[in-house]
This record gives sequence, structure tokens and C-alpha cells, in this order.
Amino acid sequence: MKKRLLLTVLAGLLALPLLIGQAHAQVRIGLMAPLTGSWASEGQAMKQIVDLLAEELNNAGGVLGQKVEIVAEDDAGDPRTAALASQRLSTRGIVAVIGTYGSSITEASQNIYDENKIVQVATGSTAIRLSEKGLRYFFRTSPRDDEQGLVAANTLKDMGYGKVAILHDNTTYAKGLADEAQTLLKDSDVEIVFFDALTPGERDYSAILSQLRARAPEVVLFTGYFPEAGLLLRQKKGMGWDVPFVGGDATNNPDLVSIAGKDAAEGFMFLSPPVPQDLDSPEATSFMTAYRAKYNDDPASVWAVLAGDAFNVIVAAIQGSGSTEPDKIAEYLRTGLTDFEGLTGTIAFDDKGDRVGELYRVYKVDGEGRFILQP
Amino acid sequence: MQLFLEQLTNGLAVGGIYALIALGYTMVYGVLKLINFAHGDLFTIGAFLGLTLLLSLGLTDHIGPVAGIIVLTLMVMGLVALIGALLERTAYRPLRTSPRLSAVVSALGASIFFQNAIMLIYGARFRVYPHDLLPTTSISLFGVDIPVMRIVLFAASLVMMAGLYYFVQRTKTGTAIRAAAIDQGAAKLMGIDVNRVIMYVFLIGPALGGAAGMMVGLYYGQINFTMGWVYGLKAFTAAILGGIGNIPGAMLGGLLLGVIEAMGATYISLAWKDAISFMVLILILIFRPTGILGERVADKV
Repeated sequence: MKKRLLLTVLAGLLALPLLIGQAHAQVRIGLMAPLTGSWASEGQAMKQIVDLLAEELNNAGGVLGQKVEIVAEDDAGDPRTAALASQRLSTRGIVAVIGTYGSSITEASQNIYDENKIVQVATGSTAIRLSEKGLRYFFRTSPRDDEQGLVAANTLKDMGYGKVAILHDNTTYAKGLADEAQTLLKDSDVEIVFFDALTPGERDYSAILSQLRARAPEVVLFTGYFPEAGLLLRQKKGMGWDVPFVGGDATNNPDLVSIAGKDAAEGFMFLSPPVPQDLDSPEATSFMTAYRAKYNDDPASVWAVLAGDAFNVIVAAIQGSGSTEPDKIAEYLRTGLTDFEGLTGTIAFDDKGDRVGELYRVYKVDGEGRFILQP
Repeated sequence: MQLFLEQLTNGLAVGGIYALIALGYTMVYGVLKLINFAHGDLFTIGAFLGLTLLLSLGLTDHIGPVAGIIVLTLMVMGLVALIGALLERTAYRPLRTSPRLSAVVSALGASIFFQNAIMLIYGARFRVYPHDLLPTTSISLFGVDIPVMRIVLFAASLVMMAGLYYFVQRTKTGTAIRAAAIDQGAAKLMGIDVNRVIMYVFLIGPALGGAAGMMVGLYYGQINFTMGWVYGLKAFTAAILGGIGNIPGAMLGGLLLGVIEAMGATYISLAWKDAISFMVLILILIFRPTGILGERVADKV
């Protein structure tokens, strides 16, 4: 009798961790983000948004009756650190990973996740080649550079411009976008009167502007980043030239207006995926309410919001496929997920894992320096 | 023709800034045979100090923009000169008898230190000078519209350069600097306090570089902690182009480099602008190894 009691107690003690484990069974989702380094502001915002969404989900009961736990690793915006971060994450029992920002950083982690059979949903990586490798578990909520080129070309055509000048800055992103737009515009009989690159990091672009003005374009497409765009606008205004400028998504930064000055920035247009504060879908609205309540601010960058979208589609895939197996999640993302309402609009993925549909919108800077979404 | 004239003025305006910074490189090299790699960062410090003083003192409101900016520029020059002298005292003087390479490494270290210090104090984001400070009117000359401020900027850099030239050629201290540049040992024997001369050099060069930083900030608006790198490199090139160690050479080299860049960008290729500038530099060094106005250095070696 005594022996039997002892055995029962022992068995109970042995089973206890199992029981506790059962009660705390969790779905672990990884987040790889630049929490330090030069893109730290992006990474911190990504984490804030994913944390907020996970908290909301857990309060509502989690997924498949289990709580979701976010496991974050810092990739420091550096390919080598990203390779380490993805290896560490791969050993921590995650079913899928969100991230990261920057194409070359994402590239460093892609094969590691693929070999470990972990679904990866990238958020701020727009390089075309990332999804051309045929990796089964790779998806992204951010658009591709060629889509932006297409939208840029279409926007300029729709506005009825016949003579276009294209200026880039020789970075992979800017050059790729400029090439893409040039090819598409040439096909549609738009005359490219200028195609060349400036050197980023300088202060005086008046020599370039003088040369541009001599070619008399009706519009200038600048595909580089916001610091140069701000200076170009300011110096263009200084020389009394009022040609319209159109920029790519790398000019979507409020600092553009402070560099150029409100009067010089007014009328500048750029292409960018929309931020949720500009969308009136119920998903975007309720997200904004929750975000403002928790962080007392607006999310500054669209790339961080795309991390929230990545979280949402992963949860939807787990829910929809009723499983946490990578093959089922990937299969569901590819075929089962249609017209999913995300924070940045409707989400679905094609065979390569790229986001389907036109995501880019046109923004215009108004007299107060605000970015206004164009209808 | 109009484009040519326009690019000429663009090139001269940028070249004036290059020349001001180049003077700092060339003076230090003339006396110490040292390339002061931290000089570009002193230029950045000038830009940031200028902004800080401008925003915190409110001088332009009290005594008007013109007087305010002149006073602020003088303050910036003074402060950056002090930092320059401090740099010499801590990073270069202890190494003066060491092999020359040690001082070069020390200069690189100082540059990294300054850059990180500026980033930690002011942050990594772009900072912007107030927009409404300077008038934006232009005047028309030979069919070319030139912003008035650009002429003022160019004139200011010419005045500073002329002042330096007068100082070095006509004053006693200037003569001592020139003497120390030719032969430090002999200068010492003639009763010149070489340490003092070097201190002067490290006051004047950084003061001009700091003024250039403030001018760039005022005119172009946007500043950040890495801005000294591009300007420093260009000014260093200008100093070599004109003949390093030679003061009129640095002025000529700076103006020339600005014009070459503008013309190269216009008539050859925009993307190749920098490559063209450096090609010209290489060509000049092949055919005239001492730079355009450089003297023969055989007797120094």
C-alpha cells in the first residue's frame, strides 16, 4: 500500500512538468529585426508592432487554442549578424519567422531558414532576386522593385508627361528602379531626355540641376533616397526652376520636408506602399487605435507595418491549415490565403511567395509639409 | 554658352569651399609633413557648432541676420580653432619624434573619434539649419541667374583666403610659419618657437575649416555627422592638385577642382564626375609630381 502510494506520487511528480508543459503549450514565432545598428529605428518599430499584435491575439485566445510567443533576435542590419541570428532562431523551436528589413540582410538568412524548414515572411526586402531562387518557405509582405518601376512608369504616363528625365544614385535599389522605369517608359513612346546618376552624400547638386534644366524635361523621376531628394528640391527652388519631381519609396521620410523646406517640398510626389493611417479599412483603423493607445504615436515607417502584416498572415496560415507544420503553413500561404485583409491592404501570395496585387500608391506633399495619399 | 557660364559659377561656388578646407590640409602638411585626416571632421564640427549656437543664442534675432551670422561665424572659428589646437596637443605632439606613420594612424583615430562623438551628441539623423535665415534672391549676370547668397559665400571664402595669405606673407608670425615649413631645425636655431608655430597652424587651419562647415550648413541647410568625409576627401585632393604645402596652391586647387567637377559632370558624364576629377589629379601628378604650384621638394628630403 505504502509502496503503491509512493509510486503514484512519484508518477505524479514525473508527469507534473508534462502537465505544466501542456498548459503552457505555445506557438513560437520568430522575429528577426535590426534592433541595433543604423536601421535600429526600423527594427524597434517592427518589434513594437509585432508585440502589440501578439498581445491582442493572446488576449483573444491565441491560435489553435494556444498562446503565441514572439522570439526576437537582433540582426543589426548586417548580413553576418543576420546569418548568426537566423541560426540561433532556427534552434529555438519556432514555426515561422518574420523578417527582416534590407534585401542583403534577408538574403543572408534565406537559405538557413529554408534548410531548417522554417517559413520566413520578409518585410522590408524588395530586391527581385530574393524570390527568384525558388525557395519553398520564403514569402514577403513587401512589394518588389519591379512593381515599383511599373507603377512609376504608369503614373508618369497617366499624368501625360512626354519628356522625362531619370536620375538615380547608383545604389542597387535606385539603379534597378531607374532601369525598370526607363525600359517601361521607352516602350510607350515617352522620350527619356536624361538618364544619369548623382553622387550621394554631397551638398551641392546645382551642377546637376543646371544640366537637367538644359534638357528641358517635363518631369524628373528621382529614384534615390530622401537626403538627396530634399537637397535637390531645395536647390531647384533656389534656382527658380519649377519642374515637378517624382520620387521612389526611399523618399518616404518626414526628414525630406525638413531638409527641403516646406515651400520647396510642396508638390513633390512619391510612390510608396500606404501606411495604415491613410487607409480606412476596419483592420487598419482598429490597428491604428490600438497602436496609438499603446505607444501614443503613429508608426513612422511602412516597413514596420509590413512586419505586422507578416505576423498576421502567419497566424492566419496556422489557423487556416489547423497545423504548425511548415509544409502546411507554406502551402496555405501559397494557395489558401486569398484576399486576406492586412494592415496595408489586401494580401495574397503567388507561387514565388511574392505579394500579389498593386500595393503602391502615389503621395503628394502639401503646403504644410504633410504627405497626402492621392486618390 | 549660358550652360557653360552657369556651370562655371556652380563650380566656383563649390570650389571656394573646397579651397577653404584645403588650406587646413596644406598648412599642416607644410609644417609637419602630416596629412591631418581629422581635418574633415573639424569641418563637420564647425557645421554642428554653428547650428547649436544659432539656435541657442538667438543672435540673429537680436542684432539682425547679417551681423548675427558674422558674429556666429567668428565664434565657430574660435571654438573649432581651440579644438584643433587641443587635437594637436593630445594626438600629434606626443608623436612628433615618432615615425611619421604613427602620426598618420593617430590622425585616422582622431577622425573616427570625432565622427562618433558627433553622432553620439547630435544623433545620426540629418540636422537642418533654419530655412528663412538667408535671402533667396538672385541676380542676373550675362543671362545667368546667380543666387546672391552664393556670391556672398564665394566672396567670404575669398576674403578669408586673402586674409590668410596676407598673414602668412606679411606678418612676423607668418614668416615664422614659413621658416618652420622650410626647415624646423634651422628655424629653431634662429630663435623661432617651433611648438608655437605649429600651434598657430592648428589654430588657423581648423578655424577656416570650421567656418567652411558653418557656411555649408547655412547655405545648403542639411548637415550630418558623416559630411566631413566627402568634403575632406575633395579638399585633400584639391590640396594635392595645387601642390600640397603651398597656400596659393590649395586655393587654386580647390577652385579648379570645383570647376573640373562641374564641367566634367556637364560635358562628359554625371556618374563619372568624381572619376574625372581624380583622373585629372593623376594626370597632373604624372606630368607635374609636385602639383600645379608646388615647389621642388628635393632639398627637403
